[in-house]
Amino acid sequence: MTTTLWDTNGTDIVKALSLERRAAGAIASGLALTLVVVVDERHVEKAQSAATTAAAAHPCRLLVVVRRSLTANDRLDAEVQVGGHLGANEAVVMRMYGRLTLHAESVVLPLLAPDAPVVTWWYGPAPERLAYDALAVLASRRVTDCAAVDDPRAELRRRAKDYAPGDTDLAWTRATSWRSLLASAFDDNEARATSAQVSAEAGSASASLVAGWLTARLGVRSRVVTSDGPGITAVDVRFDDSSRIRIDRPDGHTATLSRTGRPDRPLPLKRRDLGDLIAEELRRLDADQPYAEALAAVTGGKNLNERSAKRTHIWREPPGTEAGSTKTATGAAKTTRATTKKATKKPAKKAASAKASR
Amino acid sequence: MSQPQEGLRGNPLRDVRDRRLPRVPDPCALVVFGVTGDLARKKLIPAVYDLGNRGLLPPGFALLGFARRDWGHGEFESLAREAAEKGSRTGFRDDVWQRIADSIKFVPGSFDDDAAFDNLSQTLIDLEATHGIRGNAAFYLSIPPAMFPTVLKQMQRTGMADNAERGGWRRVVVEKPFGYDLKSSRELNELVDNVFTPQDVFRIDHYLGKETVQNLLALRFANTLYEPLWNGNYVDSVQITMAEDVGIGSRAAFYDKAGAARDVLQNHVLQLVALTAMEEPVSFDAESIRTEKTKVLGAISVPKDLEHYAIRGQYDQGWLGGVRVPSYLDEKDVPAGSTTETYAAVRLGVETRRWAGVPFYLRTGKRLPRRVTEIAVIFKKAPHLPFSQTDTEELGHNQLVVRVQPDEGITMRFGSKVPGSSMEVRDVSMDFLYGESFTESSPEAYERLLLDVLLGDATLFPRNEEVEHSWRVIDPLEEFWAGRKPHLYRSGEWGPAAAAEMLARDGRVWRRP
Repeated sequence: MTTTLWDTNGTDIVKALSLERRAAGAIASGLALTLVVVVDERHVEKAQSAATTAAAAHPCRLLVVVRRSLTANDRLDAEVQVGGHLGANEAVVMRMYGRLTLHAESVVLPLLAPDAPVVTWWYGPAPERLAYDALAVLASRRVTDCAAVDDPRAELRRRAKDYAPGDTDLAWTRATSWRSLLASAFDDNEARATSAQVSAEAGSASASLVAGWLTARLGVRSRVVTSDGPGITAVDVRFDDSSRIRIDRPDGHTATLSRTGRPDRPLPLKRRDLGDLIAEELRRLDADQPYAEALAAVTGGKNLNERSAKRTHIWREPPGTEAGSTKTATGAAKTTRATTKKATKKPAKKAASAKASR
Repeated sequence: MSQPQEGLRGNPLRDVRDRRLPRVPDPCALVVFGVTGDLARKKLIPAVYDLGNRGLLPPGFALLGFARRDWGHGEFESLAREAAEKGSRTGFRDDVWQRIADSIKFVPGSFDDDAAFDNLSQTLIDLEATHGIRGNAAFYLSIPPAMFPTVLKQMQRTGMADNAERGGWRRVVVEKPFGYDLKSSRELNELVDNVFTPQDVFRIDHYLGKETVQNLLALRFANTLYEPLWNGNYVDSVQITMAEDVGIGSRAAFYDKAGAARDVLQNHVLQLVALTAMEEPVSFDAESIRTEKTKVLGAISVPKDLEHYAIRGQYDQGWLGGVRVPSYLDEKDVPAGSTTETYAAVRLGVETRRWAGVPFYLRTGKRLPRRVTEIAVIFKKAPHLPFSQTDTEELGHNQLVVRVQPDEGITMRFGSKVPGSSMEVRDVSMDFLYGESFTESSPEAYERLLLDVLLGDATLFPRNEEVEHSWRVIDPLEEFWAGRKPHLYRSGEWGPAAAAEMLARDGRVWRRP
């Protein structure tokens, strides 16, 4: 069931959500967390379907925040969905216009599931400092994606500089299957590593993080070299007894593990889809120290794990606007409340409106 | 450059804080005896495939199938492939299968054939060169218990089961039935323990691999809410039900000799009793948990009045779910006049301070209205009700129900005010599903248990003593039942009337699951 609310406000969304929950039948849901997704209009569906996959294992309330044009009139539209293809989950997609985009937390806060942890995930590029976005401040776990920007390595440095315990990055999540395979290959290996090399397509943040991880764990120098991809294509570790472990994955599917003195082993090592990655992210919500160490090793950052986990919102006027040049910032919620309309349940209308607003 | 980190098990890449990396077993071989059987095809091979697909098999892994077929490797591989395709939970993918197929080997031979076992032994030794597997092997005995002595002796003769000789771990997995009574189970245990060391013996009870069963421990020991009430001061009684809607199918040969009590009560249901009634383990490791379970199983008492508190039944013909079904005696291959029970209900006590005076009612049966397994903890009524008698007429006992299957989850039943101007209280159910789809994607029990065997984690496997204690409970019942006729019940009913009378005598009723 979906309820669409046009030009609405936070209170009405809360009401619609609770109505939907009742209409969907006796749902005693086991909500484990609230997942806030910050996403572009173009990617709403992709993000939502990934989040739904992940929610199968981690039932959550999904709050999708779409920030539309800053220069438009202040306005909030929302879709509320419960059950159906979402399983036991509930989702609210909010489209925000005008100065409201800078105050998204005012809509999100009353919608958070009571006392459950909050995870905020930026589907596209994350703010330069996460504290610029109030949606980062209210979350206990923050998920970014270095691969979503043009220069992933520079982005890694930015993330390291800005790091606070509870931050994590999908580039790191993508590296899990590689790391898992490497760890297994090391299980019955006693020699001491002397050097490591990761080959990957140009600008792979995951490759940098794997190299950083190897440096942090093995205490060796590790290099990243460029290959044709896709993703990471090989990891090569050399040891002091001149043996080596090499994992090759030229096709993005199957890897070959070669070890000196042992027969080669083919192993499945597929690239995972976004839903799997998010599910892994939601599995544990505490700080990820190995990520911090890998990030520190690759960027030269210092004492990442010792930083305070608490962030305070930093107000920053977006470039190209001046405070007060449009409507008053705090007036956003007020404006929408004045023009509240009742819910309609016609999805067709939503398409029409989306077209109109483009 | 910094120093290399100390890792888990001497592996610098394994970090106790790194929870993303899954537990992956050491390089090892899984040897399945009776690999062409039902269990292997329906459960084991799909479980191996799913483990592979989830990246949980070590780089060095081999699956050796041993069976009495005059087969080449190719025939076995296509059988295994078909089994994986049909039974896999995570979706069949060719490249994953190809990788597993590369390490599948079939060793033909009968169990009394020395040459075949020498061949198997040599194949295992060769794995070190071909697959980099150094002596680690798990042997899965998916064969009738009557064959155990032969197979185990062959393993002893070839030294296959010897940890020291092969320089790795050797484990054996045994399926139920763990014997036929106390005496035979002891013989079986001695035999297995003689060839393997006791801590290397894994007895599979697939119920313990289920998510909810493990969740029962989390529910009890990770929360403050339930444990204070989890005793005879607050609990009136416990009802454990394991009902099946199917008949015995084609298992007559086995089933007619065993019956419901040996087939289900002795293992699954008593294990559920143990998990429900056990004290808090000092830690969550295998030994502590098994110690507590053993204590509870050892404290179980059998009723003196077996006539009235140990009821068995046999299904008659009837209608079940809109289908006409035959009686047990009319099932294929059941001997005429068989007195084997297909239903058993019994009242047990747990003689500990915590459970003194609390009856545990257990029941299991076939051809009952629906397939359901649940543990219902039924609480005492409130000692005083400040409402008038008529206000609370519909108020029953508070209940906490752990639904093991299907719809794994938890139900709470408690009194709530009926909306309106008058004060009326009635029972309502609150269902908790930890995400409906969660159960679908949670690992199939065999997958979980197989992984635990390869990792050497014995937490979810009953110990020798547990099995023997269970037989001590079942044996007196069987002795009493021997030579008596079971009560008949119509297929599609919740068991014989005598079982309902058993509870009525105590002023209680069976919960309708």
